[in-house]
Amino acid sequence: MPDNWGFVLAAYVLAAAVLLAYWRRLVRKERPLATHRPPPASRSSME
Amino acid sequence: MTTTLGWLAAAGLLAGLVMGFAVAPREATQGNVQRIMYLHVPSVWVAYVAFAVVFAASIVYLARRSAAADRVAHASAELGVLFTGLTIATGSIWGKPTWGTWWTWDARLTSVAILFVMYVGYLLLRGTLDEPERAARAAAVLGIVAALNIPLVHFSVYWWRTLHQPPSLMKPGGSSMPRAIVAALLVNFAAFSLLYLYFLARRVRVLRLEAEAAA
Repeated sequence: MPDNWGFVLAAYVLAAAVLLAYWRRLVRKERPLATHRPPPASRSSME
Repeated sequence: MTTTLGWLAAAGLLAGLVMGFAVAPREATQGNVQRIMYLHVPSVWVAYVAFAVVFAASIVYLARRSAAADRVAHASAELGVLFTGLTIATGSIWGKPTWGTWWTWDARLTSVAILFVMYVGYLLLRGTLDEPERAARAAAVLGIVAALNIPLVHFSVYWWRTLHQPPSLMKPGGSSMPRAIVAALLVNFAAFSLLYLYFLARRVRVLRLEAEAAA
């Protein structure tokens, strides 16, 4: 049976691209939320 | 803790690549295209785990109305969809040179496609309902019902005549595969499991921060 390295490469590149894109999406979503979070001291004073 | 998990997952994925390409031998029947299995099989394993977590967290949510359980269910469903998508895509890429077709409507492939669509529906349902508590309740019910499809997916290869082969690793009587191939699979199982935990922790944190910002 031929080795079909093109298919192997396609599968690994696709998986790497999808997982990397998801990781970047998480980082992009988290960054503004974490920076605009009020500090714990001011939060407790608000309560 | 999350950062450590991330580095462990990255190291695991690197080890998985080394095991899959440098340690595991060329498979005698399929040739090197079999190396796609080191992605495909761990992906479906993580998808099963992710949907089982949705199931458990949905029960906890309905029993205790715990916002934390709802966030875990939401995050895990998203990851389940991601890894099911990867399973379908890598399986399709493997299927073309091996079976001669990208897709066939056999019982395993069809039941996985139904599973994928059900959890995409779960995420759409969450996005459609404006009231968070109502969305969480409806999603929890769907999360429990959809999980009933998992045994159907797993046992479909035994219950129906399928083109998809039965499990090679988790089968009665143990695996007959060479040790190096089993080891490569197990390392990739561990790496993908760590990656799932890392993504889950980060996604739950994002959902918590979003809820705090909205409050």
